[in-house]
Amino acid sequence: MKRIIIDREKCDGCLNCNIACISAHEEGSNFYTVNMLSPDAETRNFIKFDAQKGYLPIFCRHCDEPECVLSCMSGALEKDPLTGHVQYDESKCAACYMCVMNCPYGVLKPDKRTRTKVIKCDFCDDKVDGPSCVKACPKKAIEVKEVSL
Amino acid sequence: MKIVIIGASAAGISAAKTIKASEPDTEVVIIAKEDRVHSRCMLHKFLGHERDVKGISFIADDFFETSGITWLNNTTVIGLDTQKKTVKTHDNQDISYDKLLIASGASYFIPPIPGLRESKNVYGFRDLKDAQLLDSECNTAKNAVVIGAGLVGMDAAVAMMERGLKVTVIEMTDAVMSLQLDQKSAQAYQQRFEEHGAAFILNDKVVSVDVDEVGRGKAIHLASGKVVPADVIVIAAGVRPAFGFITGSGIDTNHAILVGDDLQTNIDDIYAAGDVTGIAGIWPNAMKQGRIAALNMLGEKRSYEDRYALKNTVNFFGLTTLSLGNINPEPEENCEIFICEDRHNYQKVVLKNGVVQGVIIQGNIGGTGFWQYLIKNKIDISGKNKDVFGLSYADFYDQDQQTGEYRYAV
Repeated sequence: MKRIIIDREKCDGCLNCNIACISAHEEGSNFYTVNMLSPDAETRNFIKFDAQKGYLPIFCRHCDEPECVLSCMSGALEKDPLTGHVQYDESKCAACYMCVMNCPYGVLKPDKRTRTKVIKCDFCDDKVDGPSCVKACPKKAIEVKEVSL
Repeated sequence: MKIVIIGASAAGISAAKTIKASEPDTEVVIIAKEDRVHSRCMLHKFLGHERDVKGISFIADDFFETSGITWLNNTTVIGLDTQKKTVKTHDNQDISYDKLLIASGASYFIPPIPGLRESKNVYGFRDLKDAQLLDSECNTAKNAVVIGAGLVGMDAAVAMMERGLKVTVIEMTDAVMSLQLDQKSAQAYQQRFEEHGAAFILNDKVVSVDVDEVGRGKAIHLASGKVVPADVIVIAAGVRPAFGFITGSGIDTNHAILVGDDLQTNIDDIYAAGDVTGIAGIWPNAMKQGRIAALNMLGEKRSYEDRYALKNTVNFFGLTTLSLGNINPEPEENCEIFICEDRHNYQKVVLKNGVVQGVIIQGNIGGTGFWQYLIKNKIDISGKNKDVFGLSYADFYDQDQQTGEYRYAV
């Protein structure tokens, strides 16, 4: 399956990946027109800064044995057997947030505005040219690689 | 090989899915007393008329057809012959198995309070059937009483409030959801419920129920002398593992079906998963147990280690809370308590000797999943030399260079 591999040494913390993610999920927007002030502006990935170790981008793994899927009581989260990516069906989600509790890496989060859905990486719906965050990274700190399960 | 699964909730369905994904040729039969598969975590959405029966399913409509699973609904298991390897049903079928998974869950319990068990309008809130019976009561009832202010009681309360009933919640302890919350975080929910019309009677106990001439409980008498009128009564005072049908089978039990780390019982080829094992009565653990039991039935050697059960999330009226571990330590436990709050958030971390014992995160719970890992694995965070509220997975980051999977560097 395809997974976003992280090279923390290369990350400058520019947050282009965050903006690209928000834009990819705001219909009709691009990198320059995306409304960063919208209450719906949510990034599915994040970068943490550490005084000793520098920047660290954290992206959904679409884990081999995804804890989020195992915790989902509505059937909204499923691992696609073909792509290996964990997809989310908002219409099924009942916003119990057991997936947020169960993600060992703290990647999942409730939406800020309504608390009725989960904000979760969808791998940009497996678009042929890859996820928006990776395309937006000027340092190649995040790259898509084929990994074996 | 033929695998029979008793029960079609989290553990049973998760096992069936796992079997069919790994070895599609394995014959799978699911026997369930329910009419259709549903998620009990969404019963309140059904009762509150937010979703219909189909909307609270957690599988695809054509799940059984496409995965080639035999689905015996409305079928109650009444016995087990471990010699002949057959399961007996209420309609006198003997269903043979090579391997059996017992995922029969738990059932609710009505305390022996005079008048309570006899009342015809007393319901649990466990299965779709309970919710359907309550649903028709809600069409005519005005006053609802919920006994027990745990998560299930609060779910039932919120649904009946949605239906326009006057809801009174009676609780023995001094706060709502006292297993999950502390005083402050519980107060936030109680206030929201009260703003939406609910009444709470805390620190009180039901002593008797007056039953009218047609057998319906009408007035609830409390230890304090208060009397609460009721048209419909919901009992949410806990559940017990449901395994009456294994009597005489030789399977070891102790208030629950006992299993080893492989989730096998003391009888070969009989496994158990979910609430019936008493390991951890929460959906994610039942799903994982179902998965691991399934893999072991298929010949793998997997061990179930995720026994940590003190965890929950709460979401009522848009207020979200994550609760993990020991959140109300006794003074003699000598824990350090850290609190961080603002208008919208309340966070509490309980530490002992550098190890996190429990957390409550109320408000923004985004990205808080890492806490469970720290608590259940007893990770010492004292070396991090960092504000405890600033911790995240980034402080424990490690990546497998081959697979890109994350690991914990501890």
